[in-house]
Amino acid sequence: MLSLACVQIFMRTVLSSGLLWAEPLLRYLVLWCGLLGALKATEQRKHIALDFSTYLLPESAQPWITLVTDLFCTITTAGLSLAAWIFIKNEIEFGGTDLLSLPVWVWNIIFPITFGLMTLRYGIRFIVDLFDRFRSLPPNGSQNQ
Amino acid sequence: MNILKVVTLILALLRAPLFLVISALALLSFYAAEIDISVVIIEMSRLADTPLLVSLPLFIFAGILLSESRAPLRILKFSRIFLGWLPGGLAVITLLVCALFTAFTGASGVTIFALGGLLLPALLKDGYSDRFSMGLITSSGSLGLLFPPSLPLILYGVIAESRIDHLFLAGILPGTLMLILLAGYSMTRESSRTVRKKSYSPREMLEGLREIAWELPLPVILLGGIYGGIFVPSEAAAVTAFYVLIVEMCIHRDIPFKALPGIMSKSMVLFGGILVILAASMASTNYLIDQEVPTRLFEYIQTYIDSKYTFLLLLNIFLLIVGAMLDIFSALVLIVPLILPIAIGYGIDPVHLGIIFLTNLQIGYCTPPVGLNLFLASYRFERPIAELYRSTLPFLGLLVITLLIITYFPWLSLFLIKILG
Repeated sequence: MLSLACVQIFMRTVLSSGLLWAEPLLRYLVLWCGLLGALKATEQRKHIALDFSTYLLPESAQPWITLVTDLFCTITTAGLSLAAWIFIKNEIEFGGTDLLSLPVWVWNIIFPITFGLMTLRYGIRFIVDLFDRFRSLPPNGSQNQ
Repeated sequence: MNILKVVTLILALLRAPLFLVISALALLSFYAAEIDISVVIIEMSRLADTPLLVSLPLFIFAGILLSESRAPLRILKFSRIFLGWLPGGLAVITLLVCALFTAFTGASGVTIFALGGLLLPALLKDGYSDRFSMGLITSSGSLGLLFPPSLPLILYGVIAESRIDHLFLAGILPGTLMLILLAGYSMTRESSRTVRKKSYSPREMLEGLREIAWELPLPVILLGGIYGGIFVPSEAAAVTAFYVLIVEMCIHRDIPFKALPGIMSKSMVLFGGILVILAASMASTNYLIDQEVPTRLFEYIQTYIDSKYTFLLLLNIFLLIVGAMLDIFSALVLIVPLILPIAIGYGIDPVHLGIIFLTNLQIGYCTPPVGLNLFLASYRFERPIAELYRSTLPFLGLLVITLLIITYFPWLSLFLIKILG
């Protein structure tokens, strides 16, 4: 399904570059493609990030850093989801129509979807981290990291 | 609120995804300014109005296709046969091939991985010293950045809203200068050893030519199409991607059909990673402009620096540091919106600025301690990174000389635009 979008971009530009609706449709497709790609990047932990922690901090601190960054990611994506939700709600209420006489919010629905799913993923990751932390700190204090 | 921002910035250094760091800062800032946070998403959705954006995923796709195919092998074989007579031999070929390959694949490090493994043993066999060969390959890994259709050039065009065809032209002369300087240095290294040149029979030559026949016209199609007025740059991206797809899948059959979804998802992940940073920075940039930060920054800097040349010198130092720490895409997305208005205030041409930016960031790739190329090469060739610091040093010196020339002779970047634009 994801790859289909890419192929579609292709066919549209190559085959129907003269059509009026092709250009804006293409732009929305790029947006959708990119956001879904970003979701995939979240899944694979392939987001562009700076990593100084490996140089700056000892090995034993690493799992804690993961815990904190995952918490931060969950909160931020939740914030973005909320913002996206408000945006869509406003668009449904006051927004006009765009391409193919569909309302603007339909074209932008990808924002809450992407950020919502990202929140879910980071949230789950955080809970798993938390669980790991508590399990790796049994009463005898030995760490199995 | 400010404490939260500081915490976010600290997390930025500790592997938190950059786009979330920027988003968090934007959300916090708008919230603190009592502006509805949905503004962040409104700004992000404006990305759909950027016409050039389409060319990014298409060029990424074409680049990944090329690097997954056996095209690097063919290009190398072809160059060895037909450019072997050049003084400087294999070292010069290395420079040319790497530059060409990077231009088409974007500077995401694939050059070192795809070509380095082929070139290093060949260089050593031809009698080049270990240190020279490593330095050469490491610094060539980001060499073609200034040549069309490199992704960072396009991304700069998207952010600065400059004309892509102008940027493409602007990069050619500075890029060539860089190649000539490096090639000249390589030639001096060659003379100290016994030159042994292999000659090729006409049959071998024909064979090499036949193998490359489909990839060779690609730059001509791309540039000819754009400057011949046949298609606009975003269409050129589609044509390139389509052409590469057909050639590598149907003609050479390097890539089986079932590998295609994998390659597509790989390009989507790469594009998605860039897109969200771009989206997040649109929101934060909007806030900064709303607060007139660039204007105030400009006024502040102007009280200390009144010469354009001093400003450029400081800009270069700043960008070299940024380039060594950030990867090129996030560096562009984050810094360009802030610097561009200031540079225009000093009367610097946006296209020239773009070339300065890219040259700096390219050098940043090989600058210790954290240049990306150094890590990639160290990983690929299993050498300690300190050894690579030493071997890239002479190349780094030459690149900095080129940078100074590019910075202080704007006509080098703008000459071709005057003639052809």
